[in-house]
Amino acid sequence: MLTPTHAEIVAIAPELILTITASLALIIEAFLPRLRRYLSGLTMLAIAGAIWARLSLELPGAVWAGMLRIDQLTAFVDTYILIAAFFAVWMAGPFMRRTTAECGEFYALILFATVGSMVMACSVNLLTIFLGLELLSIPLYVLNAFYRRYEVSVEAGIKYFVVGAFASGFVAYGMALLYGGSASTNLVEIGHQVVEFGSLGPLTAVGFAMVVGGLAFKLALVPCHAWAPDVYQGSPTPVTAFLSVVPKGAALIVLLRMVEGMDLLQVSPRWVLAASVIAVASQTLGNVVAIVQRDIKRMLAYSGIAHMGYALVAVIVAGTDGGAAVLVYLAAYTVMNMGAFACVAQLSEREDRPHLINDLSGQGYNRPVAALALTISLFALSGIPPFIGFTAKFVVFRAAINEGFVWLAVIGVINSLISVFYYLRVIYVLYMRPLPERQPDYGFYLPICTAASVAALGALLLGIYPTAVLAAAQSAILSLAR
Amino acid sequence: MLNDHLLSIVTLGPTVFAVLLLFIPMRYKTVHRIVTLMTSIVMFAFSTRLWTGFNPDDPGFQFVDRFAWIPQFGINYHVGVDGVSILLVLLTTLLLPVVVLAAWSLNIEHIKSLHITFLLLTTGMIGTFVSLDLFLFYVFWEITLIPMYFIVGIWGGPRRIYAAVKFFIFTMAGSVFMLVAILYLAWFHHQQTGVWSYSYLDFLETAPLLPTSGGLFAPGLLVFAAFLLAFAIKVPIFPLHTWLPDAHVEAPSTGSVLLAGVLLKMGTYGLLRFNRALLPDAWEIFAPLLMVLAVIGIIYGALVAMVQPDVKKLVAYSSVSHLGFVVLGLAAGTQASTQGAILQMVNHGLTTGALFLLVGMLYERTYTRLIEQYGGLAEVMPIFTGIFLVVTLGSIGLPGLNGFVGEFLILAGSWAVHPIAVVFAGLGIILSAVYMLWMVQRVFWGPVHIAANYALPDISLREVFVVAPLMVLIVWIGIYPNTFLEPMEASVRLLLAR
Repeated sequence: MLTPTHAEIVAIAPELILTITASLALIIEAFLPRLRRYLSGLTMLAIAGAIWARLSLELPGAVWAGMLRIDQLTAFVDTYILIAAFFAVWMAGPFMRRTTAECGEFYALILFATVGSMVMACSVNLLTIFLGLELLSIPLYVLNAFYRRYEVSVEAGIKYFVVGAFASGFVAYGMALLYGGSASTNLVEIGHQVVEFGSLGPLTAVGFAMVVGGLAFKLALVPCHAWAPDVYQGSPTPVTAFLSVVPKGAALIVLLRMVEGMDLLQVSPRWVLAASVIAVASQTLGNVVAIVQRDIKRMLAYSGIAHMGYALVAVIVAGTDGGAAVLVYLAAYTVMNMGAFACVAQLSEREDRPHLINDLSGQGYNRPVAALALTISLFALSGIPPFIGFTAKFVVFRAAINEGFVWLAVIGVINSLISVFYYLRVIYVLYMRPLPERQPDYGFYLPICTAASVAALGALLLGIYPTAVLAAAQSAILSLAR
Repeated sequence: MLNDHLLSIVTLGPTVFAVLLLFIPMRYKTVHRIVTLMTSIVMFAFSTRLWTGFNPDDPGFQFVDRFAWIPQFGINYHVGVDGVSILLVLLTTLLLPVVVLAAWSLNIEHIKSLHITFLLLTTGMIGTFVSLDLFLFYVFWEITLIPMYFIVGIWGGPRRIYAAVKFFIFTMAGSVFMLVAILYLAWFHHQQTGVWSYSYLDFLETAPLLPTSGGLFAPGLLVFAAFLLAFAIKVPIFPLHTWLPDAHVEAPSTGSVLLAGVLLKMGTYGLLRFNRALLPDAWEIFAPLLMVLAVIGIIYGALVAMVQPDVKKLVAYSSVSHLGFVVLGLAAGTQASTQGAILQMVNHGLTTGALFLLVGMLYERTYTRLIEQYGGLAEVMPIFTGIFLVVTLGSIGLPGLNGFVGEFLILAGSWAVHPIAVVFAGLGIILSAVYMLWMVQRVFWGPVHIAANYALPDISLREVFVVAPLMVLIVWIGIYPNTFLEPMEASVRLLLAR
């Protein structure tokens, strides 16, 4: 029986805070349903506490018999995962209240999913990675279908469940093969063996490919992307916001740990080729298909596919430049996407209907704050300076060019050019089309508007002064290499 | 203290005031107007200090302001002016108050956002001219897109959305490749020296080392082509000009002034500053192509302008023709032709800016821009006609006015390099006289054939103030261009020696 030391308990304090709060939420829902409306505040407080704990407590490195690594990388990843969760809960409060679907389980599930992704991101062991993955996925299946009276929401839940279960199967089988190939479940150990051997053995190669396939489902990379638009569209908007950032952030970090550990850039040209093809295909398909979308949530789903394509370029490059680029990209993506989805949540009439872009006509003047926040978020997503999205793309393409992948950078910039087209369309609908005769009844939700403004302001200020984020990402990546 | 950061004040000041405007409620339209006008006048005052404090004998960068921005990548906030850029900075700060004053008559709901976009645009434009760090340059270059997109798209004519999106996508299409080129140059600099830097001054040392031989895909040629594409779209050089007539015609006249007056110059400035100075070997290879395209642009623009039924469209196509002269002067690359080209950038900003303003005044009176809807206006609006005529003559290069000096220097300087190009370009001058004077004849002379036009008021005092500064400079440059040629001489000499 393994007895945890004091330091090991402290090392997972943020996870513990969230788990306790989640249980508390369930108890309050069961016994004191009148206190339900304070739950969103409580959850936000807990998340803020977790962020504080992660940033202020010591980072001990490998703990729990080497299964988890709590280092600067973990701190960086946890911070943006928690910020994403914070924003999701921030907008979920008034949103769920309006649609009379608020209950304690919602917050508990979000917290559990957050813990799952945090476990995934700090694991260096196949078993804990899988545990984290499941702890992340199962609450999300429920959250997607949280509007159980709406067909679209139930459809989203079932789709994500079927696809997600399939992906988990892939990951589990791949992990078994990885273990078979190396007799270890430790990523560092597997990495050492691969680097020593100089190439991927047959079992390791197949196992790695299957794990990547499973993660590609979570990342919505081509060809495992087909679920994304339907699930994004059907889920409650705060859940979509959460879904668009948190699982992707965690899965990409797992991928980065594996790629970096095995030094695949040097070891396996086949991986480089395959991943480049996937990255290019995701960018191109995501951006081209987004152009024809009429629903803003579907459009953002395709834009998310494309963005993971850009981020994958940074994973391919790996190393200090590429690794830092992955982190910066994910942090930027969190801010921009949260801003965009908060605005969608504010500018939404009914959750079971499509959120048509054309319904936003003239809202630039009717709802100046939400429209401006949406505009900034979309400009950021399209990679135009001075917003953080530009910095993120700059860092990724810079890393690609420095490693000699000029062609990936060229394809990347062509794709961001294509993406400008559909982001701009939303903006001109907002500002350059007149208000329709039947004005949509959007209501006004101060918390959602505040969340949107904070995210948009973050996208602007971090874009103007990205130095701090860059420095944090770079030191985080150095801790990965160690 | 003030002099140390003077350039930063002029560059970033407008944005600070734009943020200030955000907090003034929308309904105080006059307050917005006054604050913006005051800002622009103060900024112009600051920029005159740049002019008086500028040392014309120093070919290097002056008023340099620099601090670390993203030290991890060696990116600095680094600005400075030399003889090439100072005139363009002054042109920008001059046009801003003119435009704000011209927008006074606009009776629209969104005065606040219009003025905020003006101010943000100004920061972007000045920043583009003064950046000495290529990352910073790219940021400013791209920032100009957003306000211009809104100016065309919100306050433009009937096809404004199409024009705005086309403008945005076209410009962006060029600039994304420039980003790759900048990143490549930084990587190359690191290869050569082991230091990360995006500084223009550092690139001046290493970029010329990029190999230009070895077929079409030599890095030097590709980097050059990426920069060229970005700038050629902005100028615009034939055949990449198709966004320009759309954007100009749909933009409100204030937007057209900034677009023609300053934004297009960002392209020609970039050609000189980056293509010419950073990659002189590739420039040698591309110069004949540029020259041919410039001459085609001159003649094509003039011919298309001739048949336009719409005054504004005519002026827009004349821009293609005039910018062709600038590109010709740059491509020829002699001291005289380059100085002429820079002067012609300013000239074009003044005359075309004034023409767009005057056309805008006509439009505000009649709500049409079709030439056939006018006629005989000289009778009704004599003062306006006189001003219009002076500007027209300046534009077609009458000796004694500004256009002549620029075009003469360009053609005289190019003659030594490529006389045939000069012959064809000279044809363009004749054509420009044809289409401009023919337009003036149809608009201002002859009988008044539309009765409503009898009631048109002549130019108002405010409108006189709008065009007066431009008129003064049009005459000044025509009579004594040395004031403006002297400061740029040393810098141009240094630049061409590379």
